Amino acid sequence: MAKKIKGPQMLIANRLDDGRVVFFTRTGGWSSNTDDAAYGEDEVLESLLERAQVFVANNTVIDLQAIGAVIDGDKAFPSHIKHAMQAKGPSVRADLGYQTSLDWEQA
Amino acid sequence: MALINFTGIEAGNWTVLAEDEQPTEGAKVAASVTRIADESEEFFAAVGELGAVVSTETAYADLAPLLNKLSFVAIEFPAFTDGRGFSLAVRLRKDLGFKGEIRAVGPVMPDQAMHLMRSGFDTVDVADERKEAFEACAARFKQFYQSDYRGAVSIAHARHSSDESRKAS
Amino acid sequence: MYAYDQFDHAMVASRNAEFRDQVERRLKGELTEDEFKPLRLMNGLYLQLHAYMLRAAIPYGTLSADQMRRLAHIARRYDKGYGHFTTRQNVQFNWPKLSDTPDILDELAEVEMHAIQTSGNCIRNVTTDQFAGATADEVADPRPYAELLRQWSTFHPEFSFLPRKFKIAITGASADRAAVKWHDIGLVLKQNDAGEVGFEVSVGGGMGRTPVIGKVIRDFLPEKDLLSYMEAILRVYNENGRRDNKYKARIKILVEAMGADEYARQTEAEWDRIKDAPIDVPEEEAARIKAFFAPPPLEVLEETNASVDEFASKNFLFASWLNNNTNKHKVPGYVNVTISLKPHGGIAGDATAEQMELVAALADAYSQSEIRVSHEQNLILPHVPVKDLATIWADLDEAGLGTANVGLITDMIVCPGLDYCALANARSIPIGQAISNRFDDMKRIQDIGPLKIKMSGCINACGHHHAGHIGILGVDRKGEESYQILLGGSGAEDASKGTILGPGFDEHGIVDAVEKVVAVYLGEREEGEEFLGTYRRIGAQPFKEALYGTH
Ligand code: SF4
Repeated sequence: MAKKIKGPQMLIANRLDDGRVVFFTRTGGWSSNTDDAAYGEDEVLESLLERAQVFVANNTVIDLQAIGAVIDGDKAFPSHIKHAMQAKGPSVRADLGYQTSLDWEQA
Repeated sequence: MALINFTGIEAGNWTVLAEDEQPTEGAKVAASVTRIADESEEFFAAVGELGAVVSTETAYADLAPLLNKLSFVAIEFPAFTDGRGFSLAVRLRKDLGFKGEIRAVGPVMPDQAMHLMRSGFDTVDVADERKEAFEACAARFKQFYQSDYRGAVSIAHARHSSDESRKAS
Repeated sequence: MYAYDQFDHAMVASRNAEFRDQVERRLKGELTEDEFKPLRLMNGLYLQLHAYMLRAAIPYGTLSADQMRRLAHIARRYDKGYGHFTTRQNVQFNWPKLSDTPDILDELAEVEMHAIQTSGNCIRNVTTDQFAGATADEVADPRPYAELLRQWSTFHPEFSFLPRKFKIAITGASADRAAVKWHDIGLVLKQNDAGEVGFEVSVGGGMGRTPVIGKVIRDFLPEKDLLSYMEAILRVYNENGRRDNKYKARIKILVEAMGADEYARQTEAEWDRIKDAPIDVPEEEAARIKAFFAPPPLEVLEETNASVDEFASKNFLFASWLNNNTNKHKVPGYVNVTISLKPHGGIAGDATAEQMELVAALADAYSQSEIRVSHEQNLILPHVPVKDLATIWADLDEAGLGTANVGLITDMIVCPGLDYCALANARSIPIGQAISNRFDDMKRIQDIGPLKIKMSGCINACGHHHAGHIGILGVDRKGEESYQILLGGSGAEDASKGTILGPGFDEHGIVDAVEKVVAVYLGEREEGEEFLGTYRRIGAQPFKEALYGTH
């Protein structure tokens, strides 16, 4: 079982067809841009999960997970480095395009 | 459940005996290895056909003393990933010379149809909705890179066989 | 090179048809993800951090120019224009769409390649010496045996659902370039007193969280008995390997628990029973396969070439490249050229479609259309005439493939790490880049001499960190990337396990730490002594002091 996460969470999944990372949005769809992502705790989270589950059942997305989020203003971003990486794309190929944030700090 | 029969062996239903349950005269029954090892001559005389239900953890050597009493063995896979079941079937055929039915039960996958057949299984119990997929998988490949213990020879042997029919792929 | 016959083609075609059907059923929702996952994994298709990843096998590291061109085509058409060569002589594409993968597999099949058994608890791609068949120090070419093993292990009825994955490596040379002692089974070709060819067999090597060096269980196995002996080893493992804990399921744990002597005894007892069964191939088949690997007809040439020497005397980088990136061929006048996929500041093991095409073109022109892939993530042109080296280097250099660092500190093994890999704890690639940028000075790295850095982004050790002269392991320290440093490992014939020096460093600290370790070596080394020699002589303490100031 996944560890209990405290605080706000967002929903991450991969699209079935191309495997790309997507986040469940406020409008009830999926986006690779975390700026659109819905987040919440407790009942809010539960209802998000319930709505997102529909897309697992109809084979739109796979590997649905609720993950810890840090909230900046009204925007959520994954708190764990692994999911942050998923949101941004490979740090070493900032040219690859689809990721939502390209501002990797230069080592 | 549906029964897939790879080899055309005569196969039918049996009852798995509960712990203290006595077999009806002449019935086809299956029991655990420990029970069979403990049973008396009357028991063996009473049953029609007897089989053992074994887990993949069973050491083949433990089956050796019982085999002359058994007409079939059902190997229970706890998960499709538990490959010990394949080796156990190989052992039964190769080391113990068992000729009776070997059946796979448990959550094996259609993709494993050929693995089962070639390791020595005759039959497999599958969910009805998987029957078609199982049959398709069992028919997909015609020849293999390994000889098996049922007499099929490897592609490597077929390549150099004088028997032309073996070369047709 | 081996060429498929109708049997081999039929096998791969049937498999691909099956996978196409499975993908269609998945996309239509007839298969659930839980059902589909094991099926896609058996065809090398993973779900990684950002997308699917398809891993195709390069059997025993041998590629034709046409195969390489096909990889380039796949990279361009179905991916983002590049591929990644791994430590297991596989190639990985990082961005394929699920619906494209059946087409990709068909494209691979057209050039006699596949992704079968590149994942799962089965016998994986058999790896070998990248200079096989082309090196002066070899008893016999290991590739025919690797091909025998490839065929025998493909869809094995009994050994496709082992307790855990299973890796076999084989070498024919006295220098071990295939890290055989680090494999589940390691095979070393040798000759007995009667001049017959056979294998020394070791079992139970492996990296991961419990690094173990394999133990020899048979000094000489006649070559004709290879497959039956493998079957015996595998049966003992399949029956007795642990299945209750995946971290204890590799054969190394069983061999440790049982003792190598007992493992050998059980193997020999089983082998006695089966060695006359038709497991091993008929002699004609062994001969048929060997014929594909007959040495190319090379006419003996001058060992040196005046214009090459002249160019080298004027061009320091080319001279360095000659020194570091070429190795002696068994035919005079030829060398094997190692193309470094470790440009300073670049991503280890990655090659763009254009680079792959260039390498293919060079192979057609200069290396009998043959290419090799090494477990150290480089590409090799075997059988290259010495006289053509200057031209080849110029072409490579223009494409960013001319780095003269093979065997030196910047020729690092680096796993994909947290930039791509779903299992990673930390990024590896940027650390590799930072280290090679720090040491971006050909004079300096040649002065440092042979030094292998190997880096993994997690305990799975795909980057062979246990076997690095300097090993680096990425760990998760309270949600931050942290890097441990190990010293003294070796993947060569003197295989040894690296020791962790102390607490980890952050991403900047680890680069400084490597530099400090090198400084200790430079201060302590004796005339002509390589890094590993110095470490083995002086031990870890001086290095610890330099890094942690402990006494
Ligand atoms: S070592 Fe770990 S991080 Fe690196 S590729 Fe292997 S599993 Fe991924």
